[in-house]
Amino acid sequence: MRDPGRRGLMSILVVAWFVQPSFAQESKQPNVDTVLAKLDDLYRSKSSVARVDIVVVTPRSTRTMRVKVWTSGEDKALIVVESPSRDADTATLRVGENLWMFLPRVAKTIRIPPSMMLGSWMGTDFTNDDLVKESSLRKDFEARIDKRSSSPAGWWLTLTAKPGVVGRWAQIDLLVSDDLLPVEERHYDRKRRLARTLTFDTVKKLSGRTLPTRIVVTPTGATDKRTELSYEELALDVDVPASTFSLSRLERKR
Amino acid sequence: MRASTTRIAWRSLWRNGRRTALALAAIGLSTALVLTFNGVLRAYGDWMVATITGPMLGDVQVHAPHWRKDRGLERTLRNASATVAALRRDPEVAAASGRIFAPVLVALGDEGFAAVVIGVDADVEAHPMGLLASAPAHPSGRGVLVGRKLADVMGVRAGDQLALVGQGVDGSFANDLYVVTALIETPVDMVNRQALVMELGETQRLFAMTDEVHEIVIRARDSDHGTALARRLAALPAFAGAEVLDWRALAPELVSLVELVDVAWVFVLVLVFVAAAAGIANTMLISTFERTRELGMLLALGARPLRIVGMVVVEALALGVVGVAIGSAIGVGIVATFHRVGFDLAQLTGGGPDQISFAGMSWSLRLYPSLAVVDLVRTFVAVVVTALVASAWPAIRAARLQPVTALRA
Repeated sequence: MRDPGRRGLMSILVVAWFVQPSFAQESKQPNVDTVLAKLDDLYRSKSSVARVDIVVVTPRSTRTMRVKVWTSGEDKALIVVESPSRDADTATLRVGENLWMFLPRVAKTIRIPPSMMLGSWMGTDFTNDDLVKESSLRKDFEARIDKRSSSPAGWWLTLTAKPGVVGRWAQIDLLVSDDLLPVEERHYDRKRRLARTLTFDTVKKLSGRTLPTRIVVTPTGATDKRTELSYEELALDVDVPASTFSLSRLERKR
Repeated sequence: MRASTTRIAWRSLWRNGRRTALALAAIGLSTALVLTFNGVLRAYGDWMVATITGPMLGDVQVHAPHWRKDRGLERTLRNASATVAALRRDPEVAAASGRIFAPVLVALGDEGFAAVVIGVDADVEAHPMGLLASAPAHPSGRGVLVGRKLADVMGVRAGDQLALVGQGVDGSFANDLYVVTALIETPVDMVNRQALVMELGETQRLFAMTDEVHEIVIRARDSDHGTALARRLAALPAFAGAEVLDWRALAPELVSLVELVDVAWVFVLVLVFVAAAAGIANTMLISTFERTRELGMLLALGARPLRIVGMVVVEALALGVVGVAIGSAIGVGIVATFHRVGFDLAQLTGGGPDQISFAGMSWSLRLYPSLAVVDLVRTFVAVVVTALVASAWPAIRAARLQPVTALRA
């Protein structure tokens, strides 16, 4: 025979368990794994095809490039310059840890050596390393929720590089909004110095997914220097043939 | 001083010819050794400065602010050709030229390698101690010179075609094909390991630069006046806001290396002081002991103590001057001989390599000793002062003699 009083208590406990966090805080503390999984996946899903405008601002000049990007999984990507026409068809191919560059002007494909990984990618504030290493926050970092942010409403997460992971960043501070979209990322190098800041804005719906379509990278210490990425088109989980990411395809006139 | 004093002193000097000859030999030999060593050190110092400044540093360099810190491609000096032309008209400037340094990715096949394009004015860099002094050819147009070690790593030979990828100064994409004119081995390690030496105009075109360079390197007519030249040039309106530095400020770690040479010279000079002082003091002391009776006689005859002091001092001085004269003649002879044939430090160390690598540069071990008038004067003065000091004790002793006691000795 069941004890009705006891059952009632259980029910209350269960209810309290679910309700308690929302009483204590304005918004439910997100699950870190969920956040990282969402961020890892946000711009690429299983596969993606995107058209991105890149604006590189330096004290001397402001330059705009339009590129088309194909990705598949976490470690395959092809970036082809569409404009300006002078650099058109210049392509970068990433497969795993390898990076190749195709130069139409001299009709040559060159593999980027490990020693050049920290060099700028096509004059932007991104390095070649960013293209190769930017694989997975989940895999490379231990994450914990740091504090609540009021404006914008969201959460600061602290990501610390897992022991044994060789990468440029020892720590990333990450601000996500309550709807789990990235707002700001601060990258700290191995000496725990702030190296650069990424800000995410212009939230729009692309290909059925709501995401910030503009990312601005500002290196620390350099004045009047930044790179802006604007997603103009994005198609997710589309069929991208494996042959897209091959050297022979790289050299073929598209 | 009376002429008779000098005469007596000179005569007394040769009363014991063998002893005087021995003292002269000691002074002469040490003088000759000091001068020889001095000649080698002078050559060593000059060589060091020439090795340091010749290929890369120059006597004075001009850069845009902060370029030396981050070597930012965009940190250039504008209106380079007019500035360089003005510098070349300066009477104190022996040579001036611009340089560009730009990181690139270079490939022979499809494997890329990190390298640095150095854009130079080849005619200026080809002076005897210059970067391209031993280059078999000059870069021109699409022809580049490749550092030997970089070429080895890449498997590049003369005649090969290289693809270069880099960044234009305006942010544009710089890429083109170049032909390897020759491989070069320079005294600068960084050049051998990383450099593609390209003609300045072509470098500017590749990296979308107008009339601009990263570095203006200046050789002074007189290397010793590099610091003053740098100070004067820094005040010119053409270099307002630019960083004008002499090689001592550019490579402070190498300054101490050169200064060490001067310190070594002082040590040897002190040793010779001691040797000469001991020789002269000893000779004079014994000779005054021997002549105690004679000196007593002179005093008894009415010679004043001061005259006795004069005699002893002149005797010591004569010993010193004759000794240093003989030594200088021998020393100059040795240095002159080695100046012609060179002095091989490598052989001294047991026939090792004929050059060493240090501080990112190759240093030749064959030196060509030389002497300046100042070296001879310095040694002469040093020996004369030593003679004076060394004669003090015997002179005072002689002057204090009591005629009666002295005559009985």
